[in-house]
Amino acid sequence: MSVVELPLAVFVVDDEPPARNRLKDLLADCAEQLPLTLVGEAGNGVEALDKLSEVHADVVLIDIRMPQMDGIELAQHLNKLHKPPIIVFTTAYDSYAVNAFEQRAIDYLLKPIRLGRLFEALTRARTAVPVRSEVLQELTPEPRKNLSIHERGKIVLVPIEQVLFLRAELKYITVRTVENEYLIEESLIALEKEFAARFIRIHRNCLVAKEEIEGFEKVAETDNSEAHWAVRLKGLPELLPISRRQQFIVKEFS
Amino acid sequence: MPKERSINQNNISDALPNFRNLGVVLRIVLIVNGLAIFVAMTQAASIQDLGQRLLFGSAYLQPVLISCLLILYILKDILRRLDYRQGWGAVLLLVAAVSGTIALLGGDLFESSIGYSAFQLWQHIVVSVTVAVITLGYFRFRAHALSPAVASARLQALQARIRPHFLFNTINAVLGIVRSDPKRAEGALEDMADLFRMAMADNRELVTLKREVELSRQYLALEQLRLGDRLAINWQTEEMPSDALIPPLMLQPLLENAVYHGIEPMHEGGEITIKLYRSGKDMHLDVYNPYQTQGNKHSGNEMALMNIRERLLLQFDVEASYSVDSGKDYYRVHIIIPYIREEY
Repeated sequence: MSVVELPLAVFVVDDEPPARNRLKDLLADCAEQLPLTLVGEAGNGVEALDKLSEVHADVVLIDIRMPQMDGIELAQHLNKLHKPPIIVFTTAYDSYAVNAFEQRAIDYLLKPIRLGRLFEALTRARTAVPVRSEVLQELTPEPRKNLSIHERGKIVLVPIEQVLFLRAELKYITVRTVENEYLIEESLIALEKEFAARFIRIHRNCLVAKEEIEGFEKVAETDNSEAHWAVRLKGLPELLPISRRQQFIVKEFS
Repeated sequence: MPKERSINQNNISDALPNFRNLGVVLRIVLIVNGLAIFVAMTQAASIQDLGQRLLFGSAYLQPVLISCLLILYILKDILRRLDYRQGWGAVLLLVAAVSGTIALLGGDLFESSIGYSAFQLWQHIVVSVTVAVITLGYFRFRAHALSPAVASARLQALQARIRPHFLFNTINAVLGIVRSDPKRAEGALEDMADLFRMAMADNRELVTLKREVELSRQYLALEQLRLGDRLAINWQTEEMPSDALIPPLMLQPLLENAVYHGIEPMHEGGEITIKLYRSGKDMHLDVYNPYQTQGNKHSGNEMALMNIRERLLLQFDVEASYSVDSGKDYYRVHIIIPYIREEY
């Protein structure tokens, strides 16, 4: 296979400059025996997503504890790239995460990072397949802080606190904020479970943000004699219908 | 500072109480008066009689109690230098002497109605000494009851004070600069050695505030190595009494918390303000850091701070105060401990 001959493209993400330095030193040492190139580095998750939608990396080394967006959330977003990279986590001390990695055979490096371990991880990465998104989700009890949306080859992050509702439509899910509407390819059931703190199901195909509920209205449809309830959300003109099964919500939230 | 034997940990509890501590003084007053009420109750025939007995009893009891407390307050350092048994002997002798003297001097006053006999003099001395034995016994019991707490607090302290997170990240950072800036790496390793020497030392003796500040600066230099510009420090130490004595590693864990919970989670970083000053008989330590509330990630924080609170209680009883003031975007810990200076 000719692909193997290409140098391994490696990307480094860590919020601490000396930690990135250390990795770069060690990568330079590895390069003597394993053809590789450093294709970039980033000091936080957002910057990493930005750069990685421009440049392809085979392997991304990600620190877990970072401000703004932690390493696990970054990995979840990177997994949605067209060609997701192999992810190797780095951590100084986090027994919870380390156990989770062990159980799911996800590669990780303990800081201080050793040359031998890094070399092994990179060698393995050549033949590894990316970890599935569901598995990454299991790694953390925390929900993501953003949804990532692919738009013309770029990744757009939509903070969860801006999302008013999520509605399943055919293959996709519509993500609605006050200003915009996006489409993502995820399962509504998984989203409901992950963001249970923010959203509540009002219909088989729709989750709304509890905090954004402005009020409830009874709507009578023209061709149907029976009226039903609908939710009005802050800042949105349209009404979202509540299914019969979920009508208890009206009492609970009004 | 009291001489303490460091080989056997259990010896820490076998020491006389600190007679200058407000908590100790209050406890003595309560115990002695409690006993007086109890004795009066057992003898009284009616409620009026009880009142009478308490009144007459107090006329003798309070002067003895106050004189004893006063002398103990003055002699505290000398008593502390004695070994534990000698200490007991000295206190009991003192109580006997004071009660005897007051009975002799004021004897006519208290007992004029009945007249005064040698028997009554001895009676007063024996009762007083018995009360003193009960009181000292109580303090011994209390110290023993608390000593497992001391041991576990120390153990916990070792685990909680310097986070593994900090240790491994710092080693990694030092390795990260060792090729490009070997001089700085050397300095960082030296700072680390000092910090861990302190953390692993027998931490029962008080240290000067100056020393603790020095250590804290070394600690912060290490954090700055990792965090760079994200960590800004504002030291307000102009009014700091350098000679004040404080429990070791009291300030450093507060700063470690501030960095871990306040600065690290913030992309742009922030400034930690440390204000150390004396006001009258109190020493104030104030640590302020920005803080972003996110979810319920407060548990680790509480753990380390509880540890400090517990140590303050063990060391100063009611004379120390610890308070937290937290708002939407900041967290502030304020500690007040009695101002003690190094004497000899």
